[in-house]
Parts: sequence; C-alpha cells; structure tokens
Amino acid sequence: MPSKVFLGLDVGSVSTKVVAIDALGQVLASSYLPTQGQPIAAIQSALREIARALPPGVPVAGVATTGSGRVMASALVGADVVKNEITAHATATLRVLPSVRTIIEIGGQDSKIILLNHGVVTDFAMNTVCAAGTGSFLDRQAHRLGVPITALGELALQATSPTRIAGRCAVFAESDMIHKQQTGHSLSDIVAGLCEALVRNYLSNVAKGKTIVGPVSFQGGVAANVGILRAFESALALPVIVPEHYDVMGALGVAYLAQPIAGQTRFRGFGVVAANCQVKGEDCDGCGNRCEVVGFSINGRVQAYWGDRCGKYSHENYLSVGT
Amino acid sequence: MIVGVPRALLYYVYYPLWRRFFAELGVGCILSPPTNEAIMNSGARAVVDEACAPVKIAMGHVLALAPEVDYVLVPRFVSVEPRTYICPKLMGLPDMIRQSGQKTPPLLAPDIDMSKGYFGLARALMDTSRCLEKGLWSTVRSFHHSLAEMRRIKHKLIAGQTPEEAFHGTSRRRKPGRRLRIAVLGHPYNVYDPLLSMNIVDRLRAQGIDVITAEMLPLEHISLGLSQLRKKLFWSLSKMVLGAGLYFVNHAAEVDGIILLSSFGCGLESLVADLLERHARRQEFPFMQLTVDEHSGEAGLITRLEAFVETVEGRILNARNLSPHGDHEFRHAGTP
Repeated sequence: MPSKVFLGLDVGSVSTKVVAIDALGQVLASSYLPTQGQPIAAIQSALREIARALPPGVPVAGVATTGSGRVMASALVGADVVKNEITAHATATLRVLPSVRTIIEIGGQDSKIILLNHGVVTDFAMNTVCAAGTGSFLDRQAHRLGVPITALGELALQATSPTRIAGRCAVFAESDMIHKQQTGHSLSDIVAGLCEALVRNYLSNVAKGKTIVGPVSFQGGVAANVGILRAFESALALPVIVPEHYDVMGALGVAYLAQPIAGQTRFRGFGVVAANCQVKGEDCDGCGNRCEVVGFSINGRVQAYWGDRCGKYSHENYLSVGT
Repeated sequence: MIVGVPRALLYYVYYPLWRRFFAELGVGCILSPPTNEAIMNSGARAVVDEACAPVKIAMGHVLALAPEVDYVLVPRFVSVEPRTYICPKLMGLPDMIRQSGQKTPPLLAPDIDMSKGYFGLARALMDTSRCLEKGLWSTVRSFHHSLAEMRRIKHKLIAGQTPEEAFHGTSRRRKPGRRLRIAVLGHPYNVYDPLLSMNIVDRLRAQGIDVITAEMLPLEHISLGLSQLRKKLFWSLSKMVLGAGLYFVNHAAEVDGIILLSSFGCGLESLVADLLERHARRQEFPFMQLTVDEHSGEAGLITRLEAFVETVEGRILNARNLSPHGDHEFRHAGTP
C-alpha cells in the first residue's frame, strides 16, 4: 500500500479528469468523465471513482487543480496548487517523456502547442477565437454522421482517397462534408478528409509560424483518434508519440506539481463527493459593469466568490493569478 | 459651456493637451467614466457592425456623455506627424457618430492633420476655439500651455506611469516583486482600457512584475527600433508598437518578454504583429500576442498570462543552470 497519494484534477470544458499518484509518481488510479455542463457533479463522481480505486485509508498529501474550471475545482476540493494548463501539460510530459520537444494538445474546446527545450517551456500558443478543430467539433460531426466518436479514427484509416474538407471554420467544414456526402463520397473518405482538415487547421492556426521539432507528443482527448494521429505524422513527417496517459496528462501534470507540497494539505477529504454544493449567481449593481458575481458554498457556507471585475467580493479568495 | 471628452481612443495620448487647452480658454471640460460593460454595450448597439471593439467603446463614451454636455470632443485624427497616418476607422469616427442615428450633442470635430507639418495642430486648435467663440490671442496662449503640459506628462510616462496615472496623478508606490520586467505593447486604447485589456497592466503589477509600455519609452528608443526596418511605416500607432517591440528585441537586457495586446479584426495589427513576431522569434525572444474583443470571459486571458509569465521565468532559471562550458547541464522542471 502506498504511504501517501497526490491528486491532480483537470476540469475542462468537455471532460473532467482526476489522477492519483504515489510519492514516486506512479499512476495509481485515473478517471475521465464528461463534464456535461455540470462541473461540480463531474468532479464529485470522478473523485468517487478514485476513492473506490485507491486502497482504503491511504492519506492524501497534496491536491492540485488545472483546466478552465480550476478555480471552482479548487474551491470545492481544497487545492494546494492551482495551475494553468500549459504548465500542467509541460510538467507531465517532461516527467513521462523527457526528450519531447513539441507537445500537441487538443482538448474539448482548447488546442495548444507547447515547445520545450532543455526541460523548460520556450514558447506556447493556444487557439484564439474559434473552436474549429477541437474535440467538440469532432464530437458533433461524429454524432451527425451517426458514428460513435471512439470509432471515428479507425474509420478514417479505412479511407482509400481522403476527400478535401475546408478546415478553416467549423460551419464551412460541416457544409463541405454534407456536400461531399451528397456527391457520393464514402464515409471513411470523408472522415479521413475531416482528420486532415483538422490537422491543417491546427498547423496553420495554433502552430502558426512555430518550428516543430521532434520528438512530438500528441495528447488530450483527441489523441485517442488514430486518424488524426496518422494525419499529424504525415503532415509533419515526424514520428508522433501518444503517451500512455494521454487523456489525463493535465491532471497528471498538476499531481506532479502537488508532490513537493510540504506540510498540511488543504484537501477537504473525500467527503466532498457527498457535499451539498451550491453556486449562486447574482448581478452586482455597484457600477456599470453589472458583473455576475458567483458565490460558491458547501453545505450552506460560502467558500469563495468569483466573477467580479473589481475584486470587491473575490479579494478574500486566494484565487488570483499566479497562485 | 461644457465640453465632454470621451475616455477612449486617442484620449490615452492627447487628453492632457485638451484638458489644459480648455482650462486656459475657460471652458468647462468633463471626462466620461472608465469603460464599463454598459458603455461597451450601448456603443456596440449604435455603431456599424464592422467596427472594432475600441471604436464601439468610443461610441459608448460619446453616448454616456451626451446628456451632460454641450459639445462632445471627437477630433478627426488624420495624421500626427509628417508622412504618417492614423487608422481610417479613427479618421472616420466623427462621421460614424453623425450617421449612427443616435441623439448626441453637436460634435467638436476639428481635423488634425500634421502630415504636412506641425502647424496642422495649431490650425485644429484654432478651429476648435472658433467653434467655442474664443478669441485668437487666448487660443495662442492656451496652445502654448497645452504643449508644455504634454512635455510634462511625457516625463511622467518615461518614469513608468501609465497614461491614466500620469493624467490624474494616481500613481502609487509599488512593492518590489519577482524582478521580472515585461513589455506590454499595443495601441494605447487597447492596453489601457480597463474593460478591453481586462486590466492587464495591473494584473501583471499585482504579481510583482514591472510593466513597460511603448508610451513609457523615450521617442529616440522608438526610432532606434524602427531603424531595423527596411521601409518606413506610415501608420503612427503601428510605429509606436513596432518601434518599441524591435527596440526591446534588440536590447534584450531591458525586458524579459513582450506581450502584444491587439483587438480582434485590427487591420494594422494583422501586419505589424506578424512582423514583430518574426523578429522576436529570430532572436528567440519570448513573445505572445493576445487578441481581445467584446467578450467578457477572463479565464482565457488569465491562463495565457500565467503560462507566459511562467515560461519567461523558466527560461531565466534555465539560463542560470546552463553550464558555461560545452555541454548543457540542466534539470528537468518538476524534478524534486
């Protein structure tokens, strides 16, 4: 039985990931669940899964959160470290695959490129205004084509001559795909074309102007799709590695960041899975900004505020940038 | 008689000039409040849909001033130095406001065209005072004082104050922090607008990071940066951004990284951002472009800022760990 565990939570727009590691950094348990617009419930179910998988009674020595829902996750579970996704992914990859020079990460609504050299991040970029070419777009297209998202990659590999799909914009890509279907292209050719379009869009949008040096690591939920993996390999002419825990790398990264924590953890305990959490939004009429201030409470006690621009409510939180 | 000055666009450059000018003429002058959501929304509803966020905000400020003033000052900036020009959307602003169908007080919209020389400014101020029925002598005297005021403000900017701090004397002592210095570049109405920039300067300062902007550089440094270019730029706003950026890229000891803040759909920035990024990349200088628009979600900005600051810090730490002889020795991030 491990002497202690560290938890990493990555609360993304589409999925919630939790990883438990031991003091040596071995993954003991991991959980990947759809957020489905209810991050609190998703965190609670993911933690429940983790608690079940861990040996009973093992102490939690540190907790860290990342992802777009990191602030709320931290308020819910009591985190020692709250980190951005770039640092989280870089940390995980450098530990698991130290020689990697480029990380391609495609998640539900974000896609990122992280360049590494000598074990530090030298440059990074994230998608700007548009979510074309991310997981949610693939999800929607799979649904429309009546193919399970998990089968999309295999289907793409069966293509004989991939069609050309416009990848610049999700709306245009969709109308292009419908057009290709109506002119009689096979489903696998269309799906393969979609994979290529997504990769083209990523390289010209997110990785714009950056020199991609191998070894390349491809992670995030979309890395499950072999069609996209092959498309990246052929577009880059480089071998692309998909790490073992590709879908929970962000969570794994922050779990590593929680490891050096000395002293008492702020973790509230696995009891939070049953806690009654409330999020209450209220329009503040203090000024013309009319911020929607969110108060987060557990079992009736307010734990944190956010959403105010001026800091009138949130200044008491420890949640500002850089903590 | 009261003139309203919208806290938008080139307010962040020329406000002291107008304030002093109106004060010397004995004309009341009020300023619209700092941009808030209500101002942005009313502006976005009133202005043509292809306008950028800063122009929408400017429209909002004009509407916010409308009930309280006799005139609203919306100068038509055509050119502020010989052979350079201001963005066409800024040039067309008085017309855009007049055509918006909104009820506004009469506009004070002098043409400011210094493309043929600096007397263009004097002429614009004469036109303004003629509208306000002021005499020639008081105009000349006011003009003189206004220019002196601009020089005084420039000293404050060079000392590291933001325009808002320099204009209103609200600069506060800051505690020394993690000794990181980051340049935040961009058109002044993007960088200093509290809503559009999501207070980027204050956010960085709150983490103990020194922020330097193009306005805080002496003009000679800007010219030095621009001397890197093979051709002359003819956009004034871009000259400031690119001149400062190139200066920093070539004087790497001055700052640790550059953040370029631009508003979505900016035509000038589409060229300049790419140019600056290429120069930065060639020198392996940390550079990040942030694009902002009407959206209010701060999470995206915070994540990118945080990651950028950590990247810059990681590089500094790594440079210290490099062996001065031969092979690089380094430790992996995260190794205990």
